[in-house]
Amino acid sequence: MNSKLGLMMTVLMGLVLTACASKPAPVVEEAKPAAPAVTAPAPVDNNAFASGYSVSDLASQFGINGDPLNYKVLYFKYNSSAIDERSRIIATRHAQHLGGKSGTNVNLEGHADERGTRDFNLALGERRAQSVAQLMNAAGANSKIETISYGEERAVDAAHTEAAWQVNRRVEIKY
Amino acid sequence: MIKKITLLGSISTLLLFSFMLLQPVSAQQQEKLRGTIDGGVIRGKPIAIVPFKVLDGSDVEHQIHEVIAFDLDASGKFESIPVNDFLSQPSKDEEVRYKDWRFINAEILVIGEVWNIGANKYEVQFRIYDVVRQQQIGSGKRISGLSKRALRTAAHVISDNVYKAFTDSAGAFQSRMAYVTRTEIEYQRYRYRLMVADWDGYGAREVYSSWNPLLSPDWSPDSQQLAFVGFNNKGSIVKTVDLRTLEDETIAEFKGVNSAPAWSPDGSKLAYTTSRNGSPDIYIYDIQTRQHTRISTHYGIDTEPSWSPRGESFLFTSSRTGRPQIYSYSVNDESVSRMTFEGTESANASYNFDGSQIVMVHEGGQIAVMDEETSRMTMLTNAKFDESPSFSPNGDMVLYKTEQQYEPALMVASSDGRVRTRLSLVSGDVREPAWSPLRK
Repeated sequence: MNSKLGLMMTVLMGLVLTACASKPAPVVEEAKPAAPAVTAPAPVDNNAFASGYSVSDLASQFGINGDPLNYKVLYFKYNSSAIDERSRIIATRHAQHLGGKSGTNVNLEGHADERGTRDFNLALGERRAQSVAQLMNAAGANSKIETISYGEERAVDAAHTEAAWQVNRRVEIKY
Repeated sequence: MIKKITLLGSISTLLLFSFMLLQPVSAQQQEKLRGTIDGGVIRGKPIAIVPFKVLDGSDVEHQIHEVIAFDLDASGKFESIPVNDFLSQPSKDEEVRYKDWRFINAEILVIGEVWNIGANKYEVQFRIYDVVRQQQIGSGKRISGLSKRALRTAAHVISDNVYKAFTDSAGAFQSRMAYVTRTEIEYQRYRYRLMVADWDGYGAREVYSSWNPLLSPDWSPDSQQLAFVGFNNKGSIVKTVDLRTLEDETIAEFKGVNSAPAWSPDGSKLAYTTSRNGSPDIYIYDIQTRQHTRISTHYGIDTEPSWSPRGESFLFTSSRTGRPQIYSYSVNDESVSRMTFEGTESANASYNFDGSQIVMVHEGGQIAVMDEETSRMTMLTNAKFDESPSFSPNGDMVLYKTEQQYEPALMVASSDGRVRTRLSLVSGDVREPAWSPLRK
């Protein structure tokens, strides 16, 4: 592995972990993090973590601070299993990471918000987990990926608010 | 615009406040919503139910007249007159003076007596009168061999007798319901219980329990079994439980989702949903041959099958056109037709006993009844989080789950939406109610 990239990842992961420790729940529309203070005109890597974006774009556009590998929850629109760009970046990064190893068992847990009926939401959660599984397989995850849906039965936030629904519509990547 | 928001805010505060004031009226609170036709007030037939006279001493814990009043009021077809208004309280035929009942505008009178004839052994006698015609309906009836618990059943039998005499359908007050409760045993660790109770929530008993979510109970047509959804460590599974032996059986535990079981009217099959082949589709399980047959193959989500009364078709929810809508699958010609067009989404539909009406969840959380022939929809509720509707066996009422002041509650609405009654005997984190067929 490129040692420079390795060092950078270590540093960034450290940063992210510190950030995560103080703010545990990543929310889709998180406030923008402080812009990284770039003093020296270093060459910008426009394909950080093979995402197709620079580190600052990942942060400003998707709220992904540092390595997308540190994010394990993907969010969805109401009644949709379509994967948005943030989720694509994170899932692809996990797939590439897993592709390097072999034989890891991955569980994708699909969830829905409380709106709509329970049985429909079970199917919808499954759909979401399946879309992520397809993407990860296509991105070379090389792992045994299992999907499980809990529908609306395991909400992260039980409030009847847009904000709660947004964090409940999710797929959790577990391995 | 800002003004409007403030106004709405204060109205909801007011509503909340008035709700709080109304709350502790009685254990079995009833909320009446009267609509009007031609400017007149529609109401149920005024009925006087006299407290049953307890003979041969001892206390009777179940107030029979209150159970009957609750039954009949909830149907929306009757309206019980407060006992305080009664001018007399007869318990025998010779004590009945029609003028006492005409005076308080009662159209129907029910009287009766209870005998305690031994340890936990009771008898009930009752008489029903048509006050308008000034005649007794039939002659008095006696129900014997009752345990204390069965006094409530006797009350439901009397309600059914009144119902049959004064409406054009049979009563459904001896039916039961199933529902699920969730209890937090320790922090974020929940016990889910599948319960069965009388239709009004009395006498609940656990028939299955699990540390994983339970949902979607569905009664077998002989009302001796429930099919439901549970979870193993790989996902949701379809199970059944026998209500006599409490033995459970796993019907479908395929890879992916297994859910939404529905007994066919003859009890020989279970329609359910599984995503074993990728997309959530409807399958039919033959109980005798144990064969699973795939029915729908669309790439959209197909789920929540529910049979027509004669079993020649079933309704289901599908996202094949985007948002969920109700479709019907014809078993004979294997054709699919769309049933709902109103609004943006409809789900979890089921028929009443004769197939003339369909109840469903509309717009994600409103209970609606649709006329099968005209497709005309009537909103039973205007809430956002109502779910799991099912018709009473006679089609005159709908049981569903709602939220009242942020608390889950089971409700019964008359099918015309006029009267809504909370089943306060059931409390806690309740969900997924399902009304049973009539006992055979």
